[in-house]
Amino acid sequence: MTVATLEQATLTERITRFLYREALLADEHRYLEWEALWDDEDALYWVPMRQGADPQTEVSYIYDNRARIASRIRQLNTGLRHAQSPQSGLRRIISNIEIEPGEGEVVTHSNFMLMEARRGEQYFWAGRTTHVLVPEGETFRMKRKTINLVDAEGPIGTLAFLI
Amino acid sequence: MATAPALSRQLAEQLDFAHLVQDGRVHGSLYTNPEIYAREMDYIFHRGWSFVAHESELPNNGDFVVRKVGTQSLLVTRDNKGEIHIHYNRCSHRGAVLCQTNSGHRPRLTCPYHAWTFSLDGRLIGVPDEEAYPEGFNKAEAGLARVARMDSYGGFIFANLVPNGKTLRDHLGRATELIDGLLGLSPVGRIKLNAGWIKHKMRSNWKMIVENQVDGYHAPMTHGSLLKANQTFATVRDRKPKSATRVRDFGNGHTDIDHTRDYLEANDRLFRWTGGIDPARLPKYVQAMKDAYGEDEARRRLIGGPPHSMLFPNISLAEMNIMVIEPVSPTQSIQYTCPVFLEGAEELNARTLRRCEGALGPAGFLIADDAEIGELTQMGVANLEPEWVNLSRGMGKEEILPNGITQAGLMDETSQRGFWRHYRATMAEGQEAA
Repeated sequence: MTVATLEQATLTERITRFLYREALLADEHRYLEWEALWDDEDALYWVPMRQGADPQTEVSYIYDNRARIASRIRQLNTGLRHAQSPQSGLRRIISNIEIEPGEGEVVTHSNFMLMEARRGEQYFWAGRTTHVLVPEGETFRMKRKTINLVDAEGPIGTLAFLI
Repeated sequence: MATAPALSRQLAEQLDFAHLVQDGRVHGSLYTNPEIYAREMDYIFHRGWSFVAHESELPNNGDFVVRKVGTQSLLVTRDNKGEIHIHYNRCSHRGAVLCQTNSGHRPRLTCPYHAWTFSLDGRLIGVPDEEAYPEGFNKAEAGLARVARMDSYGGFIFANLVPNGKTLRDHLGRATELIDGLLGLSPVGRIKLNAGWIKHKMRSNWKMIVENQVDGYHAPMTHGSLLKANQTFATVRDRKPKSATRVRDFGNGHTDIDHTRDYLEANDRLFRWTGGIDPARLPKYVQAMKDAYGEDEARRRLIGGPPHSMLFPNISLAEMNIMVIEPVSPTQSIQYTCPVFLEGAEELNARTLRRCEGALGPAGFLIADDAEIGELTQMGVANLEPEWVNLSRGMGKEEILPNGITQAGLMDETSQRGFWRHYRATMAEGQEAA
């Protein structure tokens, strides 16, 4: 095995690196860097209330197109968003990654467990996330991020951070 | 113990609601005291009228939903003849809950424990090994327990767990005009609540959510981040003190923020209440409204928009959303939110859905911050001093209209005082009845 092949990361490695990066930016409230991971036009950040929901007839917790993602980030960046001021302490673990390569894009599924700390209380979030990613050089941009919470039916607590 | 009589005397004083709820101030313990909370569940929720479900949530025979009223889990069913029933969610045999999911469809109700089976109108129709019961056992007497009273207005179904007292119409009083105002935005006068309910855990007392629903004072501060980030989405009307909008007290604890008046007085554009949709994008809806109500009246309705109101004790007609408050404990509640779909306005409904998600629920640009402020307020009132919560804004400047409605400026606390006045009367009456 040559050094060149060793340096050429596999698709799995590149995707894993992207998912970890996205998780880190969300955990650390690096809002603009997180927003920059999105496709400039075609984007959907979706948290449904049940797996397999029809978002055209059923209400979702979040159904942000690109403009609404930008609005969400602008609101967080004012520093006046009470629900994230102070910011929640966040760390998430990403695992069980499955990859479906497709035509011009890659679909990934991954599990997450997220601990949120706020005012001395800890809140536990978990679910399975589907990303639709478009390759861009060695990395990717997000076109879709769908988060199926294990407790999607609710009730759920305030979700003002980036999940 | 020498302190015991003093303590009990103090407690008796604390539960003097004429003292705890004064005009212009209420006592902090109303938001924290478990004994007060327990009485509220009984006097307000069990012995009064509470919203339970909307008929459109049960479109087909065999549909059911489970809802909580006070401390009680209730089962709302539509039977095989299309009639709606409300029973306690409890098997008449050994007591297991009959429906474990929040909604669904069943031809009959079978208990998971011993398979006692009930028709959707509550009759016991099947008992395994029935012969083994003694002679006096009569299936006809062993059906599900029906709530004492059920009634509806405009498709909104309410329950009352005691047989006597005010009718639903008496309870709603003048506030029926608020429901009429919402239904009147549909060319056929009907709404659908079939997009599902967002359920949001709020770490605050249920009454704080009531107070906030009709608070015209907090928006520029609590929602300052949205005003800064997305003015178009956040503000569709004048939020300043000079606004023509009035807060109103309809009596019986029902209140609103009358934005409609603001739009109409300004002879505003159609649909400003939707965030400013161009009427040209809703041609079928506009035409259907004109056909149904005539040119002028359709225009008036489409300028004025929906009510922004709170009906005592648990349902808010929150413009194009219905919000329901479910108390969980003195310091916890669940807020339910569902977008309102207007029959005959499909062009608008798709937008209503997206607007609901943007503004409301646990991730909403508005309600996430209301929830946070509610939590901070709940934490604050646990501190014993200064004892009272001040609700005096606008007192002495109120106008009593010939129809009995009291109104004041957008930022006045007339709406909160209207809620508390009825709360005080209800809690005192309950005490007498108890």
